[in-house]
Amino acid sequence: MAAVRMANEAQRVDFDPVTRVAGALSFQTTVDVEGGRVLEASAVATLFRGYEVILEGRDPRDAIFVSSRACGVCGGVHATASALALEMAFGIQPPPMGIVVRNLLVATEYLYDRPTHLFTRVGPDFSEAAVRETNPELWERALRTPAPGGATHGFALISDLMTAMTPFVGKLYTEALAMSRRAREAYVLLGGKYPHPQTITPGGVSATVGTQDLQLMLLRVVEFFDYSQKVVAVWDDVVDFFFEADPRFREVGQGPPNFIDLGQWDDPYAYDGTFETASSWGERRWSTPGAIVDGRLRTTDIQRVNMGVEEFVDHSFYEDWSGGGSQSGNDPAGNPLSNRHPANKQTIPQPGETHLAGKYSWSTAPRWDRQPMETGAYARLWMTAIADKLPHRGFTEPTGHSLRLAIPQAQLPATVLEWRVPEHWGALERNRAQAYALAHSALVAYESLLLGLDLMRKGGPDAGVFTHYKIPKDLRHGTGLWGGSRGYLSHHVTLEDRVIQRYQIVAPSTFTMSPRDAFGNSGPCEAAVVATPLLSTAHPERCIDVLRTIRSFDPCMSCATH
Amino acid sequence: MARESAPWLESASGRGGSAEGVVHVFWLAGMSCDGCSVSVLGASNPSVEAMVVGTIPVLPHVVFHHPMLAEEAGSDFMGPFREAVEGTLGAPYMMVVEGSIPDDQTLERAGQFSGLGVGADWPRGSSSSRGPEQPLRASDWIWALAPGAEVTIAIGTCATWGGIPAAAGNITGSMGLMDYLGADYRSARGLPVVNVPGCAPVGDNFTETLAQLLQYLEGIAPLPDFDDLGRPAWMFEETVHRHCPKAGYYEEGVFSEEPGDDQCLVEIGCWGPVVQCNIVERGAINHMGGCMVAGGACIGCTMPGFPDKYSPFYKAPPGSAFSGSVSKVYGGGIRRLRRMSMKTGNREPLWDQTDVVTSGWGRGKGKRDPVDKMNAFFYKKLQYRGSVNQGKRHKKQPLPGSLDVLTKNGIDHTQSVDVLGERIKSREEI
Repeated sequence: MAAVRMANEAQRVDFDPVTRVAGALSFQTTVDVEGGRVLEASAVATLFRGYEVILEGRDPRDAIFVSSRACGVCGGVHATASALALEMAFGIQPPPMGIVVRNLLVATEYLYDRPTHLFTRVGPDFSEAAVRETNPELWERALRTPAPGGATHGFALISDLMTAMTPFVGKLYTEALAMSRRAREAYVLLGGKYPHPQTITPGGVSATVGTQDLQLMLLRVVEFFDYSQKVVAVWDDVVDFFFEADPRFREVGQGPPNFIDLGQWDDPYAYDGTFETASSWGERRWSTPGAIVDGRLRTTDIQRVNMGVEEFVDHSFYEDWSGGGSQSGNDPAGNPLSNRHPANKQTIPQPGETHLAGKYSWSTAPRWDRQPMETGAYARLWMTAIADKLPHRGFTEPTGHSLRLAIPQAQLPATVLEWRVPEHWGALERNRAQAYALAHSALVAYESLLLGLDLMRKGGPDAGVFTHYKIPKDLRHGTGLWGGSRGYLSHHVTLEDRVIQRYQIVAPSTFTMSPRDAFGNSGPCEAAVVATPLLSTAHPERCIDVLRTIRSFDPCMSCATH
Repeated sequence: MARESAPWLESASGRGGSAEGVVHVFWLAGMSCDGCSVSVLGASNPSVEAMVVGTIPVLPHVVFHHPMLAEEAGSDFMGPFREAVEGTLGAPYMMVVEGSIPDDQTLERAGQFSGLGVGADWPRGSSSSRGPEQPLRASDWIWALAPGAEVTIAIGTCATWGGIPAAAGNITGSMGLMDYLGADYRSARGLPVVNVPGCAPVGDNFTETLAQLLQYLEGIAPLPDFDDLGRPAWMFEETVHRHCPKAGYYEEGVFSEEPGDDQCLVEIGCWGPVVQCNIVERGAINHMGGCMVAGGACIGCTMPGFPDKYSPFYKAPPGSAFSGSVSKVYGGGIRRLRRMSMKTGNREPLWDQTDVVTSGWGRGKGKRDPVDKMNAFFYKKLQYRGSVNQGKRHKKQPLPGSLDVLTKNGIDHTQSVDVLGERIKSREEI
């Protein structure tokens, strides 16, 4: 970190790059170290590749494999969002088995992504070396604090957990890598490879779904029943330890609970590929779409979620395309769309010097109802929990204030994990929720496998994976409303003369890592960094709580800037 | 009493080769999606953590400067990059580049398409046009680190050949690392850029190449065999089709008609017969998956022409119209002859004697038709010519006395539940 002294004890601290996040992110902050406060923070996305522009003028059949490569961390979700957009434009839908295979792949992807995030990117900030350096008194306390979840995760003391989080050698670190490889093995059985699966097509999948594939996947997915119990126990213990040791850790990375999500994992018997009926198939997803503002659920209607989105480029390296913020056209269901809605957006890059008062990021600033919104694995849990509309309750049960996850018995006995909506939202709660999201994904993967086996058992056209299509010549619009591991993901395509005329992507980290908007509102992560107290007793100048905050958002900058 | 250890024991406990036994690896991301990093983190032959911790005795300790894995952030992370350029690192280093290189050195206005560090991180005494708080370009670090690197490796199709950021219609002028550094580039050890392509590459392809190169630097192993484009030859000299589990379908002229079908994928857009890649024999990870193994058509993602020379995807390559038609005629004939052989090969010699196939799954179709019988007769003539006719020997064997023991004991199974229904397996299907 480059620290530059400024007046009034304020000093400039640059985190360029913010490491242990996915992709190119830098944070420029002004910090009052003595006062333990962050005065200013700017999220700077430093990468632009122009995927949206590259996609214009191409054959629509190129969209899936090209847009997938916008992000190799969320390496399969763009392919599916793109397929959904194309299918809507073509007027087709995959048969049930095609939908089930896509659901299964996406859920399996998260079994690699959550452990990698929790233990290789976030975990080192809670490891022995980091805690001893920044808060030696916490380490002393950890040495004499028993870990309540010891029976599940096998570590006697909190300090043992911290030692196990040591990069490259700690047991939890290396176990996360090993488990992420097991998840990838499962993924490639039907996806071909990871990242960038080779089997997603318009109209379904080209995967050859065989007995052996499903059995080998099943064996790997059930390993995550025990593992997710362990991961939840680890993070419950670590987070609760910090909160009990110093309640101010609740304020690290704090922010208003504003969440947006499109839901994901379609009901194979409800999804019909049309925008007009999206409000009904959206609510039948395995995670419920919606928007929450300040903790209150505003809608679960996927059409309303989509229509409320606007992108601002006042502080981004793009020219404004909108000519003002007025309405421009309607979505296919007749809802009015803002001129700044992604379906109306054009990408006009304008590289230049970085000026924090002016343009400073390659990320746009998406807002919903003009509010900065968080999205992520935790938003998925939160929305599903409080909306209480989940139709599939085989293993997952929302209660209105929590989400109950019934983990079947493997080596560990069966249990019900319950993620409760936290009273105070911050970085450590984000990490805890990520752990529960791993269990949630394992259950969705398992349920998808059972559905796949059931379709195989029944046979017939529903067990097919592909629907034929013809690329239409007339003007068509398609919207892929989907989610990534990190939440909200939409692809917007316009076709004419069998060529892509416009292609736009809104990715989860475009929301969370966004710069300020036209009204001067900071992006969610920027605001959370400013709201963070610096609690290190030994080395406050290292600003570990700033880094904990940024990493708790699980940024994926390749997605954010595409 | 002090024990003297044998000389061989001492050398085995050392790490071999280089003085410090340490090699730094600087990982730079240009126009990247981080997919190569993700792939490499999945590798296990060897794994990244084994190289970093140093658990493989023939390899030096690898100090890995990777933004996704580093413990430090900001200028603490950038410090060693600066030292490497300044020549004060104190240990040899390699450079790995993921992602293509944008044409941002020539941007008229300041700015970057891919940033890394700020002006304050730049080497002392080396000119930088950037203010202390302005982002440096990844492309700055790449040209500055390249001359001093022992070896420079481009990982993934973006860094090797430009990939999607360099596709038609791009507005960043992106290119591959070789194009950026120029044809005359040689590393400190005299090597041109080593290229490990793939979008994303197989993780083991990279770590295996890195491990082999580290052993070369240590003087333990020979310089690996690279082809004329700098690819590891043992991975990329064959077409992916040659090892494809579906290649046999091509040989017999049987093709998938739509996605999800099991047969050769050429007609739904597979370019495998002309693409150099090893993913189907190596698997995507731990010998599992691989594009065509799972039903995915090859789109040439390891090749310099990717993506535009393989587009539009999901459309049969033009060459397949000719080669596929030839294969259908020629391979179709071969397939029929093979099915004939299989008719006899799928029968126990005993069944030929009794005319009963005892599998309930096939509903006991036992009697061969006269044509099959005649084919089998001539086939055996050829097969056993000049040797012993095992068929004749079988005919002389007496039938076992306890054939069909349940019927002999008077147990009647005809009343059992019929779960098979129409699901009778027939040999004609394959």
